[in-house]
This record gives sequence, C-alpha cells and structure tokens, in this order.
Amino acid sequence: MILNKPVLCILPILAIVPIASNVFYDIHPGGINLLYNFFSSALNPSFESDVLYAVFNGLQDTISIALIGWSVSLFFGISLALITSDIFYILFKVPYSIKKFLKILLSIPRGIHELVWGLLLLQILGLTSWVAILALAIPYSCLNARVFSDQINALDKASLDSLIQIGSGPIQVIITGLWPKIFPVLVSYGGYRLECAIRGATLLGVFGLGGIGTELQLSTQSLQFREVWTSIWVLVISIFCLEKIIERIKDINKIQKNIKHFSVIGLIIISILLVISVIRLGGLNINTSININSITLPSVKSLLIAINNIDLVKLISQTLFISLLATGIAVGIPPIMSMLFPTSIGQDVIAKIYMICRTLPSPLIALLLLLFIYPSLSVASLAIGIQNMGVLGRILKENIDRNDKFIAIAFEKSGASKSSSWLYGKFCQQSNSYLAYSLYRFDIILKETAAIGVVGGAGLGWKLQESLSSFAWEEVLIIVATFISLTMIGESLSGSLEASLNNKKMQSFNPTPNVSN
Amino acid sequence: MTTLLDLRSVSLSSGSNHRLKDITLSIQQGEKVALLGQSGSGKTTLIKVANGTLKPTIGKVLWKGIELNKLKRRQKSEIGTLWQDLKLIKELTVCQNVNAGALGRKNALWALRNIFGLIDNENCRKCLQVACLEEILMNKSISSLSGGQQQRVAIARLVHQQPKIILADEPLSSLDPQIANDILNLLLTKRKNSFYTSPNTCVVSLHRPDLLEGFTRVIGLKSGEIFFDIPIGNLNKTNINKLYL
Ligand SMILES: Nc1ncnc2c1ncn2[C@@H]1O[C@H](COP(=O)(O)OP(=O)(O)OP(=O)(O)O)[C@@H](O)[C@H]1O
Ligand SMILES: [Mg+2]
Repeated sequence: MILNKPVLCILPILAIVPIASNVFYDIHPGGINLLYNFFSSALNPSFESDVLYAVFNGLQDTISIALIGWSVSLFFGISLALITSDIFYILFKVPYSIKKFLKILLSIPRGIHELVWGLLLLQILGLTSWVAILALAIPYSCLNARVFSDQINALDKASLDSLIQIGSGPIQVIITGLWPKIFPVLVSYGGYRLECAIRGATLLGVFGLGGIGTELQLSTQSLQFREVWTSIWVLVISIFCLEKIIERIKDINKIQKNIKHFSVIGLIIISILLVISVIRLGGLNINTSININSITLPSVKSLLIAINNIDLVKLISQTLFISLLATGIAVGIPPIMSMLFPTSIGQDVIAKIYMICRTLPSPLIALLLLLFIYPSLSVASLAIGIQNMGVLGRILKENIDRNDKFIAIAFEKSGASKSSSWLYGKFCQQSNSYLAYSLYRFDIILKETAAIGVVGGAGLGWKLQESLSSFAWEEVLIIVATFISLTMIGESLSGSLEASLNNKKMQSFNPTPNVSN
Repeated sequence: MTTLLDLRSVSLSSGSNHRLKDITLSIQQGEKVALLGQSGSGKTTLIKVANGTLKPTIGKVLWKGIELNKLKRRQKSEIGTLWQDLKLIKELTVCQNVNAGALGRKNALWALRNIFGLIDNENCRKCLQVACLEEILMNKSISSLSGGQQQRVAIARLVHQQPKIILADEPLSSLDPQIANDILNLLLTKRKNSFYTSPNTCVVSLHRPDLLEGFTRVIGLKSGEIFFDIPIGNLNKTNINKLYL
C-alpha cells in the first residue's frame, strides 16, 4: 500500500468501523421507530401558528445575539490585530516583547470553546442575553485578531514604508495604507464569521441560553419531531440565504474598486442591524442583570486535592479519542460520497445534506442520536463528525469547483467512469490542500469535543458540566486549564504538520531527481 | 479499409473567434497522419474535437459510424490521446499513472484500489517496457522525472489504454532531437508484446516539417481551415512555405 496524499485523505474513513460496530450494539429497542418518525417528519414540518411564532421569535433572538456578538468581535478583532501586528511596533516604536506577551495572552481565551465560555459566564452573570453575547464575542475577538494580524503581517511592507518615508502620521498610514488592503479580507472572513456566530448562538441556545436553539432542544426532548423540523428548515434556509449574500459580496474585484462606498454602506447597515438587535433583546437589561456572583479563588491545597479527584488522564484520552474518530468521519466521508454519487444531481443532493449537517449544532445532533442509541463515546464522535463533515464537504466542493475541470473531462472521454474521473481528475489535485484544511479542522473539533462531552456523557466537557453544577470551582479551573493546554498543543502540532505539507508542495514544483518516494 | 474517425462539416467558434471552419475529413485504419500548421491554426482544437473533449458548434464527429457522445465507455477508450501537457497526476506514482490508462475498462473500486497501490503491477511493467522506461522508476513520483521521462510515462499510460487510434498533440515540442526521434518511433512503428499491439493508426500534430518520415498523409491547417490534405508523397517545399506564410 502507498501512503500518498489522496490515500491520507480517504483513509480516515476507517473511523467508521469502530463507531458503526459500537453504535450497532447500542441501538435500543424503541429506537428504530423513533428514527423512522424523525426522518418521516422531515417533509412534514409543523405549520401551526404558535409553533411558527415561537420559531421565528427564537430565530430573531439568535440572530440578534449573533449580530451583537459578531460586531463586538469584529471591532475588538481589528483593534487587537493592529496592536499585535508587526507594523504597529514599527509605527509607534513600542517594544517588541509586548507583542509576544499579547499574542500568548490572546491565545488563552481562543482555546476555550464558546460553549465553555457560556457555561462559565452563566455561573458568574446569571441567565441574561449578555452571557450568550460575551460567550461569542470573547473567543471570536481573539480568533479574528489572530487571522487579521496574520493578514496584516503578510502584506507587502514596501508600500507602507514609502508612506512612512514621506512623513505620514501613524494613523494616516493605517487608514490609507492598511485599510484598503485589509478590507476585502475583512469582508470575506468577517462574513464567514457571521455564519459561525449564528451557528454558535444556536448552539448556546441548545444549552438554554435562548433563541432558536432552545426551541430545537425543547421540541427534541419532547419528541415533537414535526416542530423540530420546522426549526431545522427555518435555520437551514436562513443560513443558506446568508451564504448566498456573502458569496455575492465576496467578489474581491468589486470591493477593491469601491472601498469607500463599501466601508460606509457596510458600517451603516451593521449599525442599523445592531440597533434593532439591541432593542429586540430589551436593551440588554444593562443595569439590572449584572450581579456578579461571588467566587472565591481556590487555594493551592484545594487545587491539589481536586487534581487527585479528577481522573485527568482518562478524561483527556476520552476527549482525544472522540476528536480523532470525529475527524476521521468528517474528513473521510466527503470524498467517498462524491465518488459514489458523481452525477451533478447527486452532487447537488449531497451539498444540501451537508448544509443541513453543518447548520445543526453538534450537541443537538447528539441529542437526536441519543433518542435511539445509548450514550457512548461513539455517539459523541458521530455527532461532531457529522457536523464537521458538513463543513469539510462544502470546502472540498468549493475548491474542486474552482479548479481545472479539464483533466476530469479528458479521463471521462477516454472511457473512465464518472466516479473514477472525479477521483483522478479532480480529487487528486485537491488532496494536498484538503489535507492541510483537515489538520486545521482537527483543532476546531478538539475544541468542540468540549461541547459535545456535555451531552455524550464523556470526556472533559461532561466533567466540566458536573463540576459546575456542584460549584467545585477548583475542578472547573483545572478542567478549563486542561482545555486550553490541549487546544494549544493541538494547534502547534497541526500547525507544524501543515507547514511540512506546504513544504512538500513547494518541492513538488521543483523537480529534484534522485529523490525516491 | 474501415473508416475510424469521421468529421463531417465541423465548425467551432467561441464568440466571434472561429477556431475551426467547416472541416470534413475521415481517417482510415492504418493511416499515419501528420497535422501541420502555425501556432494558433487550430491543431489542438481539432484534436480536442476529435476525442470529444470539445463539442463542435456545427457538424458531427463519428467514431466507427457512431456519434462520439453516444459511445459506450469501452468504445470511448478506443480513442487514445497524448496531451501536449501530458495530464499526468502529480500526486500519484508512475505506476499509478500508468494504471490509470486502464480506467476505461475498470470500475470505480479498481480505481480506488489503484490509488491505494493495491493493484498488481505486472501490466504496468509491460507498458513501461513498451515505452522504453526502466522498471525502477515505477514507484517514483512524477515530479522527480525529467521531461522526456514524463512523456514516456504518458505514452505508457496510453499503451495501457490499448487504443485503436492515437491522437498526439505536439508530442515532440520541448524535447531534444534525439529523444524526439525516439518518441516519434514509439508512436509510428509497430510494436507488439504479450500485452500490447500498437494501433497502426495515428494523428500527430507537429511543429516540425522535417520529421515527417514514417507518416502516410499530411494535413495542413491554416486559421482553422484545411489548407491541404495530401498523401506524403505529394508534399513539396511550396506547400509547406505557403502554409507557414
Ligand atoms: N479556450 C479557448 N477559448 C477560446 N478560444 C481559444 C481557446 N483556446 C484556443 N483558442 C483559440 O483557438 C484558436 C486555435 O487554437 P489552438 O490552440 O487550437 O492552436 P494550435 O494550432 O494548437 O496552436 P499551438 O501550435 O500554439 O499549440 C486560436 O485562435 C486560439 O486563440
Ligand atoms: Mg496546440
């Protein structure tokens, strides 16, 4: 067997073997019936007026939360990106060590999943709309900061230097030199983050923080599958519309021609939407709701005792196990699906399925799975795997559509089947970047495992929930610290793997004889 | 004699650009056709139309009397193309690329097994032999080969396809004279081993009117039209000069 890149992309599908065999034995007797009921309700959602009212009400809450959280994270993301970018230290002559310190500081909130933030903030702030908004805004700000500062650092320094040379002030340099170049990235990446924010807000809702997620969770638990599907369809359609709008706006060329117009119009639209959202969430009860619950910092001794009480090794290995299996499913299934259904109708249907998969928060998928399967690590992996498969499936399709189709056509015209032509003519070319993206996805999955553990009854996430509800702050602290270290290790590992992939890619353009495979 | 390829009043235009204008020609079994013409005269376009990767705007292309888009997979694999840019797959090894030639008679599972390197490489070895490539190259990556070696891999893949006709698009460009002669020999001379009998029919587009030895017929293209279509014996300096004028 040869371990080339296409194989490395497909091989993870083997994760399905342990999952399927576990799940098969864990299906409970009444489960099949429920499963049938669930899927047969898909085309028969509830249209009763009170259901529709609740769903649309929930959707508006979710979108309001997402919008506010997203705008805040954009604002702080840009500001933090500036003060962690190289150019800032040149312009304002600040010592470089501050930058390093800031970068490390920012990576800590980023390492915690928005749900974990939600659960923590819930304890501190009580049940208010602020919790969901902050839970989104804090990690997203840091994430945006990293992405944007990477973009700023990647810019061509020469043009900025020339601005500095002719004596422009720092602010002028930022506005005239930086903004026009960063703006297109801001639009396309920011748009993608808005989608994430809506998904995140829905997810928080599943845990009782309001909005359409709460509707979904309530109707799932009371087995009202027709109502569940009303929410699912409404969500899917809204995300679909959003994706289409972003696709339209993303057109880089158009943006670059009219940066001033785009900036101003964008700012106005976002402000209007923000005002509506804030009004909708009741002015956010700014005065009344923030009553910070008192938390006393745990002593070193109690921390040590807590470490003894928690079986960290077991929890970490469970978390890693879930993440790995989930990544296997998410990475391995899309290529095989495209091979099995290579016709354009087949591809369309698959794309729609992916869309539903990535719209549903993974804890909700887990809840649905738990209707007919007993809880286990496999269920947790399956739920995260399905959700992320929706994301990776789209990335794969988008990249392949952007690529040269002619090789596949040439294969087809020489008699190869549609599936084989897709595999050889389209997928192989894409395997390197797919692999690189999959590594990056593993980080996200690792973080998400925190969220799913809460439902699946396993791993760090579940323990966190338990410790929170018993107010064991020492344990909470330890678990959160473990989360952060895990995601940091994950990020640096996949980062270096990705770098080596890119190196190999460079090499393959640069023919070196005598190098055997 | 049987007619293999049959182009009937084929025209192709993209926008106002007339890439092929009213081309009618048929290729009989056993013919070795050289396709000459200036850069941009439509040689590549003609080959793409003949193998079905481009659809003509007007006219029909038939393979053994059947329209190209009505061919079964097995029949499609009878038309073999040697592409100007080779269209090898960088991510796969030499052997896997050569095996890809057989996709016309294999199913998707076989295709997947080949990607995983689980196919017996006996046939691949024979194809490499026909294309005069050493066996040790079998497991190398495409990018580690020289230009001439890559061209031979593409030919080995074509050998594995076992076509009844070979359409070759400038197979000699960017090769030094010695290798160019070898490759041309590979395409034109009869070769046979236990696995492979070379087709005795081919269409080869060329930049070089000095390498016409071994061909039986010459077609000159000019601005998308047939300028001449004559047996090799009737070709003379004036024809050639007028074509490149
Ligand atoms: N994809 C395309 N779309 C539109 N027009 C094209 C395309 N490819 C080629 N053409 C045009 O078709 C005409 C014929 O091009 P073609 O590539 O067939 O020429 P050629 O004889 O193969 O040239 P060369 O010797 O340079 O390879 C040219 O005028 C070219 O500009
Ligand atoms: Mg050409």
